Amino acid sequence: MHFISRTQVIVAIGAVLLALYVLDLVRRRRLSEEYSLLWVVCTAIIAVLGFSTPLLMWITKVLGMFGAASTVTSFGLAFAVAMLLYLSVKLSRLGAEHQALVRELALLRHELEASHGAGDRGGATR
Amino acid sequence: MSAPRVLVVIPAHDEQESLPSTLAEVREKAPGVDVLVVDDGSRDRTAEVARACGVGVVRHPVNLGVGGALQTGFEFACRHGYDIAVQLDADGQHDPAYLSSLLAPVVEGRCEVAIGSRYVERTGYRAPLGRRLGMLLFSAVVRATVGRNITDTTSGFRAYDRRVMEVCRVDFPKDFPDAPLLIAMARRGFRLLEVPVVMRERQAGQSFYTLSKQLYYPYKNLLASLMAMLRRPV
Repeated sequence: MHFISRTQVIVAIGAVLLALYVLDLVRRRRLSEEYSLLWVVCTAIIAVLGFSTPLLMWITKVLGMFGAASTVTSFGLAFAVAMLLYLSVKLSRLGAEHQALVRELALLRHELEASHGAGDRGGATR
Repeated sequence: MSAPRVLVVIPAHDEQESLPSTLAEVREKAPGVDVLVVDDGSRDRTAEVARACGVGVVRHPVNLGVGGALQTGFEFACRHGYDIAVQLDADGQHDPAYLSSLLAPVVEGRCEVAIGSRYVERTGYRAPLGRRLGMLLFSAVVRATVGRNITDTTSGFRAYDRRVMEVCRVDFPKDFPDAPLLIAMARRGFRLLEVPVVMRERQAGQSFYTLSKQLYYPYKNLLASLMAMLRRPV
């Protein structure tokens, strides 16, 4: 196999190791399958780019990049941005769900206290 | 028609100092209404103080902000069959003596949201310059969307019809229920009406709008207003 630079080899090996680590996290239930998918796809792409020099050179040429290393870096960066955006969206939704749960909990606790408490504690009173 | 059931919703965060006098004043000046204090994750004795005053208390285990507290109040009002909810600050800024004039247009069906406004008539209230500029900006934004002038978009002294509350149960601006809420309501076809009131200085405790929020507020509110314009009412 013909490699252009040492960087390429390091990146490729790093990507494979990261993919293995991600899969191990899933195995140990530390990472849900849902999130692992993005990681595995990303590391697979980086690894393929790293090991297949002709493909890397072709993509570098098509994208008009100055050097194969920038192509790999760009893919990594694009992935990081995508992941962050995805996480922000997830976080926003979790925030909204969390709010709804807090509200529901507060109202249920009020009902519980009202049914346990003495007579006029129930409902809003004057 | 029987008299509508009215619930006064008081969002409170660390307001143990000002709550007793506010609650006493509501009872004195508006004896016919029910009161619900939404304790928004206070670290002080807000909930105990409110209970001791004999009003209903719903307590958030964590702090959600004014919007979250108000939404809980709406949810409560809907579940317990109230016709109108009035939002009132815990800090004594809002004089319960105006409750009847705030309620009147909603009861008479002239609007779905009545806003207690400091600026409809000269009431002597003067905000700091930065805040005045912000208010000008947001009333301009609201005017552009709603098609009519709302001078006091940041007023937290409002009355809401049940239909508005039903909508707010599911769709509500999270942090600051101001201009974005008014725009969203107007876009749904609800009528807004301003009622002149005089507001006082807060009596104790800390304002919801701290310094960091003063920077975040304009950004968030402007964005939320724009989104409320673009969003299709459901």
